[in-house]
Amino acid sequence: MSASDSRELRIVGFLCNWCSYGGADTAGVARFSQPTDLRIIRVPCSGRIDPLFIVRALINGADGVLVSGCHPRDCHYAEGNFYARRRLETLKQFLSATGIDPRRFEYTWVSASEGQRWQHVVTEFTRRIHELGPAPIMSHVSEGAWFDAAAPAAAGQSCPCHG
Amino acid sequence: MERFLPAAQLTALADDLAGSCHVLAPVAHAGSVVFRWYRPGMRLEFSRMASTSPKAATFPQTEPLLVAQRHEEHKQPVIEATLPPQARTVVLGCRPCGARGKEIFGPVFLGVAHDPYFARRREDALFISLVCTRPETTCFCSSVGGGPADPTGSDVLLIPVQGGFVARSVTEAGAAFLQHALFEDVGARGAEADAVVTQAQAAMPPSHDFSSAPAKLLARFDDKEFWEQQSAKCISCGACTYMCPTCYCFNITDDDLGLISRRIRTWDNCMSYTFTLEASGHNPRPTKAHRLKNRVSHKFSYYPSIHNGVIACCGCGRCIKHCPAGVDIRAIVHAAQEYAQ
Amino acid sequence: MLQQLKDAITSRLPELDLVLGWEMGFDPFHATPLYIREAADVERLVVGPWAVHNLATYLPGLKGKKVGIVVKGCDSRSVIQLANEGLIRREDVTVFGLCCDGVVSHRKLREKLPADLGFVEEAQWQADVLRARVAGQEVSVRLSDVLADKCIACCYPNALGADVLVGSERTASPQPVACQESFEALSSAEKQAFWQETMARCIRCYACRNACPMCVCRDHCIATSRDPLWLGQENSPAENFMFQMIHVMHLAGRCTECGECERACPVDIPLLLLRRHMNRVTQDLFAYEAGTTVGQTPPLLTFQVEEAGINERGW
Repeated sequence: MSASDSRELRIVGFLCNWCSYGGADTAGVARFSQPTDLRIIRVPCSGRIDPLFIVRALINGADGVLVSGCHPRDCHYAEGNFYARRRLETLKQFLSATGIDPRRFEYTWVSASEGQRWQHVVTEFTRRIHELGPAPIMSHVSEGAWFDAAAPAAAGQSCPCHG
Repeated sequence: MERFLPAAQLTALADDLAGSCHVLAPVAHAGSVVFRWYRPGMRLEFSRMASTSPKAATFPQTEPLLVAQRHEEHKQPVIEATLPPQARTVVLGCRPCGARGKEIFGPVFLGVAHDPYFARRREDALFISLVCTRPETTCFCSSVGGGPADPTGSDVLLIPVQGGFVARSVTEAGAAFLQHALFEDVGARGAEADAVVTQAQAAMPPSHDFSSAPAKLLARFDDKEFWEQQSAKCISCGACTYMCPTCYCFNITDDDLGLISRRIRTWDNCMSYTFTLEASGHNPRPTKAHRLKNRVSHKFSYYPSIHNGVIACCGCGRCIKHCPAGVDIRAIVHAAQEYAQ
Repeated sequence: MLQQLKDAITSRLPELDLVLGWEMGFDPFHATPLYIREAADVERLVVGPWAVHNLATYLPGLKGKKVGIVVKGCDSRSVIQLANEGLIRREDVTVFGLCCDGVVSHRKLREKLPADLGFVEEAQWQADVLRARVAGQEVSVRLSDVLADKCIACCYPNALGADVLVGSERTASPQPVACQESFEALSSAEKQAFWQETMARCIRCYACRNACPMCVCRDHCIATSRDPLWLGQENSPAENFMFQMIHVMHLAGRCTECGECERACPVDIPLLLLRRHMNRVTQDLFAYEAGTTVGQTPPLLTFQVEEAGINERGW
């Protein structure tokens, strides 16, 4: 069930294997109720997350992207999340130039034991994305191809693929 | 047939055409002039040659070939071949060199192999070319078989005269097009148009003779040093190939969009490393020198030697004008021609 | 300044394989990169407002050679940054630095002329005024009216870290870039509409990438890889914009703002809007400006345990 209205939105979650994925599991085992809009992608470490994963998801039509890793100083690989923090913050501040609402992307830290915190993070972020609504996206069709399909339709001719 | 189009009616003509067919026209877009699919409200720009070429009318940058769609009720995806919709296309305001471009590479798509996409688009397209009155520093159409008022590939030639354009039909389809209500009786403007054409031809710089180029370029084929020097400042991007009205190389890829996958044909670029990268990892053209050699020699040597001497270049000069490093294809061919043994 | 530079190059040339400079190109409005290999080539050298190219772009491809390079202030930052990242060996490069008065934006120049750039017949600089005949008409244009935006905002007119510095040093007086300010004032929706419309004319020729001195992957760019597939071949606004995201993210904390991407674009896409914004972000977060300090590590290749510039968000 989604947070505020009946329509589910597409939220992509990149979770590190060692902390946040475990935290999400802890929340599930404890049967904390959570919104279901989030689709989790498990990665070995938040340091594995190329900011372009997030951009690609947003350009492809994700309504929100959530990244979660181990708390700083708690990285399984000692320093992966220190690098991640710099990259993710840079992306967050950069997004405003792209026309993608920076509020559609968030990153945070959740440890494997913090089931309740995970529930809070997911609920809050999902609520925020529902407030923002579905994300407007750029056209995935070239202008010429769009024209090929749109012009005959505008001229009242039927679409060639439907007779 | 000869009619007159007042300059003030140009936008009205484009607006009217856009209601019944696809119109590809040079349009001012922020600071640049590019060919775009015209919609009323866009600003036509005839005074500057567009950065891009009108090639997209017959050979678009992206052409869907087939669509595979997965439906929940079917186990197998449903695959449908696509052909371009049969709709008339009017290219309004290309230059004679741009209209000639497709005539140069046409035999590749309509020769031994018959390409239904190119064939259909070409059949449906009408080229209304604007005669050039003055050459730019990068223009050399008259050296490669064209000219500022060359009718090859055009259906109508628009000749700029006082207050508008004298429109001269080249083909029957062009003559039919001139029946459009916005064209007026030409009156006594024919002589003025003739004078414009004569003056335009006289304004061209002296033609360069490229007839020795095929043999001379071939003679430099193994001359690594020559090509390394010629390509030294090239940055190996694709601006020249994508701007070119006569480059016709393409790539075919399957682009996956979730439940829909499309097989698309897109312009390819011989200046890119991946153009000749083989599946084994071997690349026969590993450096920019190899790639520039191919680009120049293909246009001025290999192509003419199998296509009755036709040079695969229309002399529009876009590759020179828009090259970020100022590489001049004329200078490279000249260097090969003048090379002393 | 030119003679001083020519003398410096001539005296160093015997110990170098080649020197990168500029010569006049296909018309009086365009210079083009010049490879100086022997003393006679030095005579063709030009400097000044037409010398727009950042020659540092060629350096990574000339590895193993002893190379001299003529640089403007902005270009010198690229050389420093390339050396800082270990992409060139600084000891193999001899830097001939200029004190630069700025270069021409051909886009701006076009707007000042009665006809397109290609109709130029003659052109000559008299101090900072360009006198030219274009399509039969005489025009004069002041350099300050056609300066590239990067020169208006320039903080480093004198080449940094040069082995030989020629010309008289200038003091920087950077001004804000008007188009950036009006861009930043747009709402998210307006910016998205702007990029949607602008990216519709992108032809994905990758001139922006190949002209960039910091884009060193060249033949192995992830944008042209099919496995993994980062970017589709469809020439749509979304894919074209995704390529710009790849470029800008890979240049985060590395871009020296030389403006070659924007200059190289054959359809005049204002790519520096993205680069300048990113540079402001890395400067705010990490107090870092690429290519200004020898030996500095790019901010995304390092970290601090406590980040002063990053606000850890509470949840």
